[in-house]
Order: sequence, then C-alpha cells, then structure tokens
Amino acid sequence: MFEILEHPADIGFRVRAATLPELFAEAAQALVAIAFEPGDVAMRETYALEARGEDNESLLVNWLSEVLWLLDGPKLAMREFRVISLAPGRVIGGALGEPRDPARHRAKLIVKGVTYHQLKVFQDRDGWCAEVFLDV
Amino acid sequence: MPTIALEQIDPFRYRIARDEQRGMRTDVIVYASRELIDQIQGDLSLEQAMNVATLPGIVGPSLAMPDIHQGYGFPIGGVAATDLERGVVSPGGVGFDINCGVRLIRTSLEAEQVRPKLRDLVNQVFRDVPCGTGREGPLRFSKPQLEAVLAEGAPAMIANGYGEPRDAEFTEERGKLAGADPYQASDRAKDRGRTQIGTLGSGNHFLEIQYVEKVHDEAAARAMGIEEGQVAVLVHCGSRGLGHQVCTDYLAQMGAAMKKYNIQVPDRQLACVPIPSPEAKAYLAAMRAAANFAWANRQAILHFVRGSFRQIFGKNVRLDVIYDVCHNIAKQERHAVDGKWREVLVHRKGATRAFPPGHRDLPAEYKSIGQPVLVPGSMGTASWILVGAAGAIEETFGSACHGAGRRMSRTAARKGRDAETLQKDLEAKGILVRSETREGILEEAPEAYKDVDQVVEAVEGAGLARKVARLRPMAVIKG
Repeated sequence: MFEILEHPADIGFRVRAATLPELFAEAAQALVAIAFEPGDVAMRETYALEARGEDNESLLVNWLSEVLWLLDGPKLAMREFRVISLAPGRVIGGALGEPRDPARHRAKLIVKGVTYHQLKVFQDRDGWCAEVFLDV
Repeated sequence: MPTIALEQIDPFRYRIARDEQRGMRTDVIVYASRELIDQIQGDLSLEQAMNVATLPGIVGPSLAMPDIHQGYGFPIGGVAATDLERGVVSPGGVGFDINCGVRLIRTSLEAEQVRPKLRDLVNQVFRDVPCGTGREGPLRFSKPQLEAVLAEGAPAMIANGYGEPRDAEFTEERGKLAGADPYQASDRAKDRGRTQIGTLGSGNHFLEIQYVEKVHDEAAARAMGIEEGQVAVLVHCGSRGLGHQVCTDYLAQMGAAMKKYNIQVPDRQLACVPIPSPEAKAYLAAMRAAANFAWANRQAILHFVRGSFRQIFGKNVRLDVIYDVCHNIAKQERHAVDGKWREVLVHRKGATRAFPPGHRDLPAEYKSIGQPVLVPGSMGTASWILVGAAGAIEETFGSACHGAGRRMSRTAARKGRDAETLQKDLEAKGILVRSETREGILEEAPEAYKDVDQVVEAVEGAGLARKVARLRPMAVIKG
C-alpha cells in the first residue's frame, strides 16, 4: 500500500512498514504500481536484486534504481518483492514476476529516474516510513 | 509555504539577493511578469533556484526563466554557469532526460491540404513512430553501431540513410556534441537504448502536427522558410532509457565523490563534483554521448515522419528542419563575463539556448536573425518560434525559456476529468489527439500548464528573445 505525493512536474509516494526490509519491499511495490497497471503478473521467476549505498536514503534510491533497471532493461513485469538481507550499506533481495507481455501488462508511466528530491527514510512510533519522488 | 522576498528590478526582472546564511554565493535573477511571479511563488522553484546559487564556482547569478517550476534539485527552467577550474558539474542540473529537446520541421503543405486527410496522417504517424512505455523502435543496433551513434549523433544516422545532410546543419551543435565517449556510458545504458532509437517515449513527450497561425516577424519567418497557413511538425523527446540510465549511474557515484572533494549541498539532488575531477570528466563524456543519442533519436523520428507524410501526400512532399534545440544539457561555452571572455559550463535544465544575430555558432541562413528558440505550449494550445536576442547573451549565458511550464501536479490534472471528454473537447476545436494511454491525455491537459503566451511575453519583454511566429496544433500524437 502506498500514498501518492503531489509534485508539479513529477510524482512521489509514501510507504510505511513495520521494519526497514519490509519498507524497501513496499517501496519497490509502489514504484511498479506507478509504472504499470496491477494486472495479471504470474510469479514464474525470481530476479535477483542488490544495491549498495552509504546511508538508508542512498541505499533506497539505488535499490529502486535497480528495480527500474529490471523494468526497462530486461523488461520484466514484477508482482512481489522480498528483501533477504539489509545491512548497513547493502541490501539483497528479489523480485517475483515474469517477462513483460504488452498484451497483459499495461504500462501507465515511464519512470525516468528515482530522485533525492525531498527524500525521507525515517522511523517513528508507527514503524518505518519513506517518501520518494520519481522523475516521470 | 512562506513567500520568498523578491525585489522587482523592472517589469520582467526580479532579484532574490544573495543570502550568505543560506550559503548562497550569488543572487537569483527571475525573468517573469507579475502574473507569472504569482504562480511561481506557489511551488518550491524559487527555493530551488536559491539552492543552485550555493553551487561552488557558480559564475554570475542563478537564473530562472519565466516558465520556471518545481523540479528536483535544479528547478525546471533553471540556468547556472560554473567556472571550468573552480566550479562544479551537477548531473541534476541536466536531469535524467539528457538532451530532452524539440525539433521543428516545416512541410511543403498548407493546413487546408492536410485537414481532409488529417486522421489518416495521424494514424500513419502513430504506426510509424513508436510511442508509449516499453515500445521499441524498428531499428536494431549492435553494440559497436550504437557506440558509433553515441560518438557521432545525428550525422551517424544521416550517414546511414536516415536523413539529409541539411538536417544536421539546422540542429544545435549540428547534432553532435564533441567530447562524447561511448565507453563512459554503461552497458546497462546501452542495453536500454539499443532498441529505442526512433521512439517518442511518453509523459510530456509528443509529436504535434501544427500550422503557422500568425507571423510576427516577416524577415525572420522568411529566413526560416515559413508563412501563415503552412503545416509544421514539432517533435519533443529526449535520450530515452539510455539517458535516464547515464544520469542514474553517475548520480549513484556522486555521494562518495562529494565527500572526497569536501563539497556540501543543501539538496542531495544537487550532487556535484569539480569539473577538473576524473568523476566530472567521465560524467561529461557520458552526458555528451547521451546527448548525441537524443539527436540521433530525433533524426530517426524525422526520417519516419517523412515516410508517413509521403505515404499520405505523395513522394514530392518536403519536410525540412527549421531547427532542433536541447533543453536539458550542460555545455562548455564561451561567454563575456565582467567584460572578459571566459569558457564556462552552462547548465540548462528546462531552458533553451538562445544565441543572438551574428553569433558564430548559427547556420549562415540564421546569422542575420538569431537562433530559433522553440517553445512548445501545452497540448491543444499554441507553440511559438522565437529568435535569440542580445539580452540573452548579455544576461543569461544565451538562454531563454523552453515551454509553458507546469502549474498543476499530474494527480490534480486527472481529478474531475476523463480522457474521453478531454479528447472530444479537443476534437471539437479541430485538434485530433491520439495517445497510447489515458494518463497521457489527462496529465497533459492544457489546464496543467502555465499560459505559454504569458511566458513568451515575459521572454520578449526581458529582451532574451523575439517573437517570430505562433503555431496552433492540428493533431497531437503521444504515449
């Protein structure tokens, strides 16, 4: 689940989760939901994801950039994300999905990049929260 | 949000004075009319312009064009020049869509010849120019072929039969930035770009079939070969996934590099490195390669559109480039600063080069009139051709606006509207719209943008560029 954040030119989202690894998974989910219609994506394969970053913010940006790469490079449709390990400076996980089929997987937006604009990754009494803006 | 204190200099210039407590090294100069200033104050764009003023080695003021609106890091409509020795390059000052730009093409047809066959033409172009997410182009490049395109830009496409030599002559930098190094673009960038040459993309990228509604400068129009009633084609797109990946790759390196050079910025999206550094050299070489890719892309699209027009109107129809400009770029240029010539790196983020008459970089046909400045409006409104004027080279490092500038978020643009109604409304006004997605129509609704006429009035009022002609859309094709 995510909430859209307004921006005059681009688009952002806010996600929440109980733990930091779950937050990263939710953020990936939000990114693909913004780019594609939730649809009939079969979880046929698992695609490895790994990113590094010097802090939680850059780690999240680089993690989401890896998801973006899977969308536009290998052209995958992804339904679920899992984080296997999240340690300072490194996150390892996977995406479940299948190769993209234009007939079944309808694209909504081209996401050009994940920005640092007003980027927030923080913990409060409700758990973890991230706010991310995308260049579209 | 708190209103930023602006000092009005004259009807089209405002200043935000240097604030050392904020780390600003220089003033911000905003080019806008009173009406536009009220809209500009409604988002974070002026704060972003103030943040740009903190960049190390900035030369002159941080500049804001009349179509300025909130971006990420740099505002959209922001211009900043930096010193080559002591200054920085900021990939955010170029953006993910490196060399997003506009190509305007005149045709040998009049509006009344095109109108009876407009729907057929639109459908033909929609078939011939892939648009939308995930759409691949019809051309297939091997890695060495793609690297040749990254090195040579539009001329590489022309040399392979996708255009005429004249097309490059009427393109900024002749469609090729020197100093491009294809090997500084990652394999991922090349993988993404390999099948995307000749594709439009989506979002605010589009192809518009237009007619010249009104000529304001007869001599300039004559030099460009345009007259009232003539049909033109406007193409707005950039470097597609290749450029996006180049920016992503280099932004990821910037954090660690900035620590090494002891640079701090108020906004992480302004991440930057000293221009003489190896990191900057690598980024600039990759950025130039991506810029060349974008020019090659617009060249391929022109080739396909020529085919579309010939299919509908016969083989004798002519399509000729009026000009092609980029509006997301960082270029090394020679400018007079405090009475002395200097080479500086000019970042234009949603801003267009606007060189005046006599400038050495102009094609011979435009030396007497100045460089065409192409200003697309919002879908269904109007676009403008301007020419660069002396004020631009004197004050803004030869820069002017790039479009109408958004004033409404995509979410807000969708509220209370449906795509079918908007499409029918535009058709009732004689404008056909063909879009790959519903979102593509709604989010680009005319109400989401500032009034392009007001933007152009401000640019002309400030002496940055002069009006040549106003064009109106007949059809819009987008992803």
